[in-house]
Amino acid sequence: MKQISAEDIKDLCCGAAFLATGGGGDPYVSQLAAERLLEKHGPANLMAPEEIPDDFNVVSIGMVGAPTVTLEQLPTEDEAVKAFDAYEHQTGRKIDAVIPFEVGGGNSTIPLTVAAMRGVPCIDGDGMGRALPEAQMMTFPIHGVKPTPAVLMDAWGNSAVLHSNDPLTFEKHIRAMAVAMGGMICSAEHGMTGKQASEAAVPKTISFATRLGRLLRNHNGSIDAIELELISLFDNTQYGVVKRLYTGKVLDSERKIIGGYDVGSATLQSFDDNLEPMTLLIKNEYLVAQVGKQVVASVPDLICMVEQETSRPLNAERMRYGQRVAVFGIGCTHHYRTEAALKVASPRAFGFDMDYVALEDIR
Amino acid sequence: MKIGIDVGGTHTDAVVLSGTEILASHKALTSADVKEGIVKALDAVMSSASLKPSDVSSVMIGTTHFTNAVIERKHLSPTAIIRACLPTGTGIPPQYDWPEDIANLLGNHIYSIKGGHTFSGDEIHALDDGEIHSVIKDIAQKGIESIAIAAAFSPMNPVHEVYLANKIRAEMPSANITLSHEIGRLGILERENAALLNAALGTLADAVVSSMKQALLERQIDCPFYVSQNDGTLMSADYIARYPALTFASGPTNSLRGAAMLSKISDAIVVDIGGTTSDVGVLANGFPRESNSFIDVGGIRTNFRMPDIMAIGVGGGSLVSADGKSVGPKSVGHRLVTESLVFGGNQITATDIVVAAGLETIGDTQKTSHLKPEMIKAANDEIHRKIDDAIDRMRPSDDPVPVILVGGGSILVSQKLNSASKIICPEHAGVANAIGAAIAQVGGEVESIVSYSKIKREDAIAQITQEAKAKAVLAGADGNFVRVLDVEETPMSYMDDNAVRLRIKVVGELKKLVKS
Repeated sequence: MKQISAEDIKDLCCGAAFLATGGGGDPYVSQLAAERLLEKHGPANLMAPEEIPDDFNVVSIGMVGAPTVTLEQLPTEDEAVKAFDAYEHQTGRKIDAVIPFEVGGGNSTIPLTVAAMRGVPCIDGDGMGRALPEAQMMTFPIHGVKPTPAVLMDAWGNSAVLHSNDPLTFEKHIRAMAVAMGGMICSAEHGMTGKQASEAAVPKTISFATRLGRLLRNHNGSIDAIELELISLFDNTQYGVVKRLYTGKVLDSERKIIGGYDVGSATLQSFDDNLEPMTLLIKNEYLVAQVGKQVVASVPDLICMVEQETSRPLNAERMRYGQRVAVFGIGCTHHYRTEAALKVASPRAFGFDMDYVALEDIR
Repeated sequence: MKIGIDVGGTHTDAVVLSGTEILASHKALTSADVKEGIVKALDAVMSSASLKPSDVSSVMIGTTHFTNAVIERKHLSPTAIIRACLPTGTGIPPQYDWPEDIANLLGNHIYSIKGGHTFSGDEIHALDDGEIHSVIKDIAQKGIESIAIAAAFSPMNPVHEVYLANKIRAEMPSANITLSHEIGRLGILERENAALLNAALGTLADAVVSSMKQALLERQIDCPFYVSQNDGTLMSADYIARYPALTFASGPTNSLRGAAMLSKISDAIVVDIGGTTSDVGVLANGFPRESNSFIDVGGIRTNFRMPDIMAIGVGGGSLVSADGKSVGPKSVGHRLVTESLVFGGNQITATDIVVAAGLETIGDTQKTSHLKPEMIKAANDEIHRKIDDAIDRMRPSDDPVPVILVGGGSILVSQKLNSASKIICPEHAGVANAIGAAIAQVGGEVESIVSYSKIKREDAIAQITQEAKAKAVLAGADGNFVRVLDVEETPMSYMDDNAVRLRIKVVGELKKLVKS
């Protein structure tokens, strides 16, 4: 089994920020918290999805709420393990392994700290292979895993147990509970068998994000110099094609809050005068990229942005006029190419009036 | 008559202003003794403008003392931090990410206690008098006099920080206490870092302010004096003794503000070209545009109000490659006067290119005669491309902007810059910092998270503006002449649909004090 130690966390957070497609907030707080816990409790074991015994009891664990809250209400060291313990208590079964909701922002590191503290493995995989804003968009419910029972734990040790009839109701209720429980909670949910986990999880994303982050962080120069290396890193993964969609500078970025999300758009201008500007449609994450009127990538395919000169991932809140950026389109994992998946994670699921066209089929 | 003095790491500049007219200016090397340096600067400009002490209505001082103290790890006092946030926050204790050397200087006196508030204004936990008492006892026993206090969400609700300060003062009347909500914004890690640095600088601040007072006293100057802070506004002397950390970025700010006055343009890009770097900043409405990101001060992450400055590696001493295609970021720096071609050295610098192109006469112009015209052109183009690029990245929109050049390296710019609508090289640009200090106004800023579902937007803005004005008046402004400089609304995701972070900044003229 592979291990993730405190020294890997900066790389993981950087890679996860790339795969977070603009969402996930500032990763600094979760990075510090994870480094500290892994220094204290030792590294976390990473279990590849194909290694999971079929009868394993696997539970997904992570934070739900407003990232801004964690800027003041810093994480506790034991909230996540308390959720873990309460889940075991509630279900009367030992948890054999934990798995992240998503690879993106703090939720990539929470399960690793729980794994290190409770001595169980963390699955090297996640429920999105990227970041997306809502629970029903995870690959687990798409594969028929029930989100509940879910145990919600706040920083004070208050907990709540949800039993929901369906994933959409679960998302609605957990969002409301997060606000009521101080703005940010830890949730243990989507209990599944090892067999289910090995089928539903997007595999190897934690180790992949760590490698990706290491490439970006060690380089710290223009993305042009490592583009080929970056693209070849995606070979033999579950991700599809990788395309450089655009290179340009940020002309404009505007967002508003609608229905609890950051909704808006950003415009990029190419250095090539013949190319029309790129528009990015944003709902927490970069969801649709258009050049002129032509859609060049759309959710659930990944739209990832880096600062061109430093190769550092750029999230939506940090985007600002003048920044030189490179935009990559990356084919999502096959988990999101099914009808059931596209129903909850295609542009229409976000209210955009357009059909999903797979990245590799565009132009 | 106003006197502006800028005490930099290398130079101390002084100017005398009558309104916006410059009556005298002076530039000298900074002396080790604060008082002596200021006295010398005062003497030079006062004699050159024939001023009597009674002619001076106010003195404004800009200083890099406190920034340098943090960077050089000097004159920092042992300091305790009390963070009120439990049961939250155990995952990242105070000072967790500090460089070891400066953490050890402050002594790692770290206390986390129950308290603080949530985003909705509820208490995270009530303060516990027993717990507070034992913390204070411990700090007192260790003989620590400097104390920083940070409570969760204190910028929105400071009552816990204030309560703690009162408790400490009751038991340790001479303690030097910094409350985080008074100097930082949302983001407890960065805000408590700022509070710690501020508290650790308290003793030095007392000494520096008293040296400044002594200098004025020695020259019988009996007017109020002020110190300029990061955002281009002033603090009274007593205020700076309490908030030295608010001067951390006053140097670049004063340079930008001085450039605005000299050029009489309030919206522009200012390029300060030095020996090694060019600092590019943005003037919006006469004030520097502030940075959105975190600011590193001596290896410590803070979220101070700092101007958004982009430094690029182009300056008068930048090394130029033999083919001219590469300029900087390596530079001969202050060794320009010995190592560049025109001064008899053997390094090709950007200054040599300017001389070789026949644009300036500096040193021995013959020493550049072997440089080929195409090489000179390539280097010149590269210098302009880099500066143009930096301006383009910093300008607020795609429209060409006026560009103000200051600093000794401004001779590097001789061609058109595509991003510039015009290029202005004002007179007296060498003392822009001192001018920036002299013309500074008094400001106040308040930040809060409000929900427009609960309070009307106009009412929220009016209420927070009022709080900001009160802050400005406390800092020395005339309450009758305070105006709103900036209203910034940041929507907050996931929360209530109408929750925004509202930040309002006001500035005003100094209150004319009646001398006693």
